[in-house]
Amino acid sequence: MKYNSVTPQIVDELKQIVGERNVIYDDAEAMEAYSHDEVAEKHYAHMPDVVVKPTLAEQISKIVKLANKYKIPVTPRGAGSGLSGGAVPVYGGIVLSVEKMNRILEIDTQNLMAVVEPGVVTNEINNVVKEYGLYYAGYPMSVETCYVGGNVAENAGGGKAIKYGVTARYIMGLEMVTPEGDIINLGGKRVKDVTGYNLLHLMVGSEGTLGIFTKIIVKLQPMPVATADLLVLFNSVKEAIDIVPIIMTNGKIIPTSIEFMDELSFKTSCEYLNEKLPYQSAKAMLLIELDGDNMDIIESQYETIGELCMQNGAIEVYVADNATTIERVWRIRRNIAEAWKLVSPHQSLEDIVVPISEIPTFMDRLAELQAKYNVSIPCYGHAGDGNLHVTPVKDPEWSLDKWYDTLNKLLPEMYKIVGELGGTISGEHGIGHKRKAYMPLVLKDTEIELMKRIKKAFDPNMILNPGKLFDVE
Amino acid sequence: MRIIIPIKQVPETSNVKMDPETGTMVREGVESIINPLDLYSIETGIRLKEKYGGEIIVVSMGPQKAEEALKEAIAMGCDDAVLLTDKFFAGSDTFATSYTISKAIEKLKPFDLILCGERATDGDTAQVGPGIASLLGLPLATFTSKVEIEDGHIKATRLIEGGYEVLNLPMPALVTVVKEIADPRLPTLTGKLKAKKLEIKQWTAKEIEADPENLGLKGSPTRVVKTFSPKVAREGKVIEVKDEKSLNQAVDEIIELLKEKAII
Amino acid sequence: MDLKEIWIYAEARGGRVNEVAHELLTRALDLKEKLDNSIVSAVLIGHKIPDEDKHELIQRGADKVYYVDSPKLKDFLVEPYSKVLTQLVKKYTPEIIIAPATTQGRTLMPYTAVRLRTGLTADCTGLDIDEEGNLLQTRPAIGGNIMATIKTATRPQMATVRPHSTRPAPIDEHRQGEIVNVDIQLTQEDLPTARLDFIKDETQGGTIQDADVVVSGGRGIGKAENFKIVYKLAKLLGGAVGGSRDVVDRGWIGYPHQVGLSGKTVNPKLYIALGISGAIQHLAGMQTSDTIIAVNKDPDAQIFRVSDLGIVADVTELVPALIERLEVAKNEI
Repeated sequence: MKYNSVTPQIVDELKQIVGERNVIYDDAEAMEAYSHDEVAEKHYAHMPDVVVKPTLAEQISKIVKLANKYKIPVTPRGAGSGLSGGAVPVYGGIVLSVEKMNRILEIDTQNLMAVVEPGVVTNEINNVVKEYGLYYAGYPMSVETCYVGGNVAENAGGGKAIKYGVTARYIMGLEMVTPEGDIINLGGKRVKDVTGYNLLHLMVGSEGTLGIFTKIIVKLQPMPVATADLLVLFNSVKEAIDIVPIIMTNGKIIPTSIEFMDELSFKTSCEYLNEKLPYQSAKAMLLIELDGDNMDIIESQYETIGELCMQNGAIEVYVADNATTIERVWRIRRNIAEAWKLVSPHQSLEDIVVPISEIPTFMDRLAELQAKYNVSIPCYGHAGDGNLHVTPVKDPEWSLDKWYDTLNKLLPEMYKIVGELGGTISGEHGIGHKRKAYMPLVLKDTEIELMKRIKKAFDPNMILNPGKLFDVE
Repeated sequence: MRIIIPIKQVPETSNVKMDPETGTMVREGVESIINPLDLYSIETGIRLKEKYGGEIIVVSMGPQKAEEALKEAIAMGCDDAVLLTDKFFAGSDTFATSYTISKAIEKLKPFDLILCGERATDGDTAQVGPGIASLLGLPLATFTSKVEIEDGHIKATRLIEGGYEVLNLPMPALVTVVKEIADPRLPTLTGKLKAKKLEIKQWTAKEIEADPENLGLKGSPTRVVKTFSPKVAREGKVIEVKDEKSLNQAVDEIIELLKEKAII
Repeated sequence: MDLKEIWIYAEARGGRVNEVAHELLTRALDLKEKLDNSIVSAVLIGHKIPDEDKHELIQRGADKVYYVDSPKLKDFLVEPYSKVLTQLVKKYTPEIIIAPATTQGRTLMPYTAVRLRTGLTADCTGLDIDEEGNLLQTRPAIGGNIMATIKTATRPQMATVRPHSTRPAPIDEHRQGEIVNVDIQLTQEDLPTARLDFIKDETQGGTIQDADVVVSGGRGIGKAENFKIVYKLAKLLGGAVGGSRDVVDRGWIGYPHQVGLSGKTVNPKLYIALGISGAIQHLAGMQTSDTIIAVNKDPDAQIFRVSDLGIVADVTELVPALIERLEVAKNEI
């Protein structure tokens, strides 16, 4: 694609739309923060030409119209906590940050919904609705930093998807600016709606390529008040994974989350945390969370699950049901990434999904890959929904060239395995531009072609977040 | 060995929030947990039991709700539990608390060892352990980081100013332990099931044959007469380091302050 | 009217009076001024403590020194020491007893207070006398989030006081006082416990509670090895090294170094917090320090709320630069 560059005259026009204070231009230091997301590898970063921080839908409409007029790319951006390079302006141009649109506009206790702006930190919704005994269950792991707008754009998942589903389940309506600059409303405070194509849910997970959200209506529900966690140690990955469907079929319980950690993951984390649990003989751990509105029920549920685990060969079942112990077991899961960063800052955090039943096969194949390429690949994530964060880590002794060379061979091979097992290459982080080359490994040409046609229908000038998902000529 | 471990249930205060207007703790949504420093005495007791056999009895004074803390201790590996609960115990200071618990322990005689956490994170006095030892006339080792049993004696290594002191105490004795002594285990499912089944004994003032004059608020020689918010905020200067220049400026400021305070 | 005696427990370590006793004299002299018809006495228990130490107690403000000497009292053991203190109290009936909140004071005082059936307030930061002549004892509670003022209905009124919360009382060479040698018989029964050994812990580098300067590291220093620069800075400033709960839990540094609610409370002249975010649990352990310097990457870190000088920077960048400058400065002198 060819785009025009941002001239000082265009910058002046942008300043007139959003005000001088809300434009960053010609300040490399200030713009650096807008050149990357949480993807560690530097080569996925790209500097914007200008950053704008609108506060109103009307301003966004004008910016987008201006961009169409001059053929300048616009990359919408939330908190920048993404893991696919989705908010990176790969063609330069305008980065449109929603950071100043951070108000919670309405808490509708009659309809159990909230109306929020896209720049609200996800956790903030829960801090506010807590007072009403309500709860927003769209829960990515980065809940304390990410914005709800980004969650919608990526259809964020997280650790609680097995019980609560992913972000899409909670999005009832959107006000958005189309790639041509029109302001439209999709969905609304309605529980049912079959009037025409479901454009609302086409937007959820569109990675900022089909529209810029300006208002989001989210569904709320009563807040669970009782929580308990089981930390279960197993002799093998297979035993750990085999138990997952058993919990739901035999146990008839849907836990809030079932997190899986392989040996490389939990050992590194436990050593980092100085955690002295007797984990030495374990090869896999499951962290199973239950929540609800009654501790007695939670108690009988964890007893059932714990007994099923023991019957199926678990080494030990630990129970955490208060602040001290819950914090202690989750610390292990939460610190895996940080612990590995100390081993080596270079790692490729992947986000594959396979059917739950295929996890043991996948882990066997992954072990073969580790041996073949001589790379450590800790693997952890959301076993309850088959979404695993497979994370190849660079050997500190290796050169960067050797590392990227290996990674470029290892990743396609791994994705191929994932495809063969009926899985896919991203469960919750998105494609962005980090994974777009691998789309054909898991999608048919016809499917990708249909997506491209949709993109063209919405964005004839190809100005909104170009270079993501796929390349369009 | 028969070991008695007094524990306390406290509010979870590691992330305590204060109401800026009233200067009081926001209690809403604050969970009650075992005093974190009591987890170390529980772990120490369980390890001694694993090595020498015997049983562990946990004792707590508090409202009905404190049963949860006792159950958690059972789930970790203790054997029996006693809850001291009575309206006459309300408002106890460290003297009345020491007295009440020591009366209960007398009823639990014989025993070889009493283990206490260093202190409770809410009251933060570290007085009840030594108080119980004194009332029962027991030898005492405080701030202990290692406990061994040798020839029917307790070898206690104490963490004191500048190093470690090793004491040899005859049994029965009372030992208060510090965090360094052992990493507490997590309760297991088996332990939780055992705790659920166990009926926890409940003793009132009458059952421990306590003198009412020494109980609760009435038996407490100290009284809180006033509480107020501490002044913590300082009007400090903050320098942001962005480059070589601001780094040097920050170092200059530190050096200046060190000179002004006659540190260098 | 009888004289009211305000006692300080003059803690001895290794056969010498510890300077924390001189700080208690400052407190006691202040109370003496507010309490009519009162005198200050020091209680000193030990064996062969040099006379100059006793005289120094007088020169720094004690009107009387009660000295109990016995080979059985050479080292601190709570059982015989408590017996001695109990008998002294019964004989001389002091109005007030203050002791340092050291491991010795925090062991001896609670053991003795219950024997005397009297109240004891731990770890006070402020002492005062009310209109009726009662001792007002102020201490932090709930992790330093509130301050509570406490009165004791019984006598003596007993309190422990944080070390380094006041300056030592100055010496007046002309001050006169009386040394009262008291003989107290101890039997084998009073000595159930034996002291077998003392192992000096070199890594404590002077204990954090005694040090004038404490340099502490938190998770923001990145990794365990980076404690090297914390130690180096502490050494240059003649201070001790502390750590947040987080890094102690991670095993980056030992528990004796932990500052905070579940560790030690310190109030040095200077506290330097490196890479510590300032959770309440940590602030509770250091916020009464005279001067606080904090270095943290996060400009919103809580620690900046209590610091006199805050630097928003990466510890591994700032501290080496600071060390370099201090070394240059040192060589110039």
